[in-house]
Amino acid sequence: MVEKARRSRVDDDGERRGTPIPQWEVFVREDETDPLRHVGSVAATDAAEAADHASRLFGWYAADLWVCPADAVERYSTRPLSESESGAGSEQEAGEAPHETGSDAETGSGSKSEPRVYEETEGTPRVNDP
Amino acid sequence: MISISKLLCELDAEGDGLRYDAAADSSKPQITERKQRRPVVVWNATRRCNLYCAHCYAAAETEPAPGEFTTAEAKAFLEQLADYGVPVVLFSGGEPLVRDDLIELVAHAADLGLRPVLSTNGTLLTRERAIALQDAGLQYAGISVDGLPERNDEFRGKDGAFDAAVRGIEACLDVGLKTGLRYTITEANAPDLEGVVDLLADVGVDRFCFYHLDYGGRGAEIVDADLTPEAKRDAVRRLCDLTLEYHDRGEEIETLLVGNYVDAAFLVRYARERFGPGKAATVYEHLVRNGGDPTGERIADVDYEGNVHPTQFWQGYSLGNVRDRPFGEIWDDETNPLLAALRNREERLTGRCADCRYQSICRGASRLRALTATGDLFGPDPQCYLREDEISGDGSVVGEFAD
Repeated sequence: MVEKARRSRVDDDGERRGTPIPQWEVFVREDETDPLRHVGSVAATDAAEAADHASRLFGWYAADLWVCPADAVERYSTRPLSESESGAGSEQEAGEAPHETGSDAETGSGSKSEPRVYEETEGTPRVNDP
Repeated sequence: MISISKLLCELDAEGDGLRYDAAADSSKPQITERKQRRPVVVWNATRRCNLYCAHCYAAAETEPAPGEFTTAEAKAFLEQLADYGVPVVLFSGGEPLVRDDLIELVAHAADLGLRPVLSTNGTLLTRERAIALQDAGLQYAGISVDGLPERNDEFRGKDGAFDAAVRGIEACLDVGLKTGLRYTITEANAPDLEGVVDLLADVGVDRFCFYHLDYGGRGAEIVDADLTPEAKRDAVRRLCDLTLEYHDRGEEIETLLVGNYVDAAFLVRYARERFGPGKAATVYEHLVRNGGDPTGERIADVDYEGNVHPTQFWQGYSLGNVRDRPFGEIWDDETNPLLAALRNREERLTGRCADCRYQSICRGASRLRALTATGDLFGPDPQCYLREDEISGDGSVVGEFAD
């Protein structure tokens, strides 16, 4: 019997990737008989721009090139960041799903989707006064 | 980074070991052979900034951006870096000081054996924060000042930014935190170069980082504001002259060039003209050890969402995301043809870079600038300011020794 690896859903804190410019995953095939290979991602406002950008990076290499919206991909991994020793998973309450956890218990700073900022940098940005 | 003060004036500074030393000769914990093979990692801890600078490579905004790491994720990420043997983590942004967990994260990095350093606009640095950062283990704060008051504030989109940055510098110096000044040259602020170096000396800062504009983030939108290659060469020469003048007066400022490895070739030529072939040979030897443009090798960037970039300026392309895969796996994965090509770029460089006699110390300079300006990833960097007769020729690159 083959032992199956335990995979967890990669936690993106509930946000789509590539803000504010959308991110596109790039796949290339070097030769006709090769499988497609994931080679990272590019930032682009639409698919045509993403393909153009990726072509400039990989055109010298690839026979085929695909781009895919990064936020259309559901990711599962045996070692996502959120499952590591200090990751969000280690702080979650028993029974709480990994993607529902954050670090706010530690910092006491409100919603997980809001960056944690000093009071004086919220609203109108200010510089320190003499 | 290329240290003018180390190469021309033999001033030793903390970072020089990683750049020029043989690991076997060093007793410093950051200069083991393993760590020299690992990149310095720039981490854009947040995209948010309290300023809006015209040249920001991270295209930072004053509004919050979703998707940045929680404190726990950030700690787990720092552990990835430590596990991989990264020597230095540069907390950058956006403006890293807007994160209210920054001090906690700096302390965590220090506990893990990473050398934590900070890149900031300085305007949020108070004495209290400087003390807290230093107590947390911060080793260095680099503060950006892009010109004298009027031009700096215009560039940074905020009146009073210059004065606030100077107050931030003074706060660091007051508590004994090593501090440097960073200046990105453009057409608009080039006349301020000497004034900024003088300012640095006046307030007591002893480290100056001269940045060439790279064409990433908003930097790609102001390519027209970059200096001509000739003007760039003149500015680099002026900084070399200034460094020597300061050192001749006994003021040991550390001066560094960042973002254009054509400067390496220029420095060899400058050393030859000024001091002769012996000095030029020593400079050349150090620069060979330094290895030329570090993109995809000795420098890495991880943005606020976890995307890994070949340099901090190359935000439009990501090798992978540390939320999916540990940093070390992404960085070691040379099945990525672009990463492999960057690490073996000598085989692919075209045009004047292909046969350049300084290729081993420059390595084609910025691939991002070449890509942005010409669409050719392996074409010449448009900011190469060396003449054809300087990059070709059969003689020694350091000049001929007298019999």
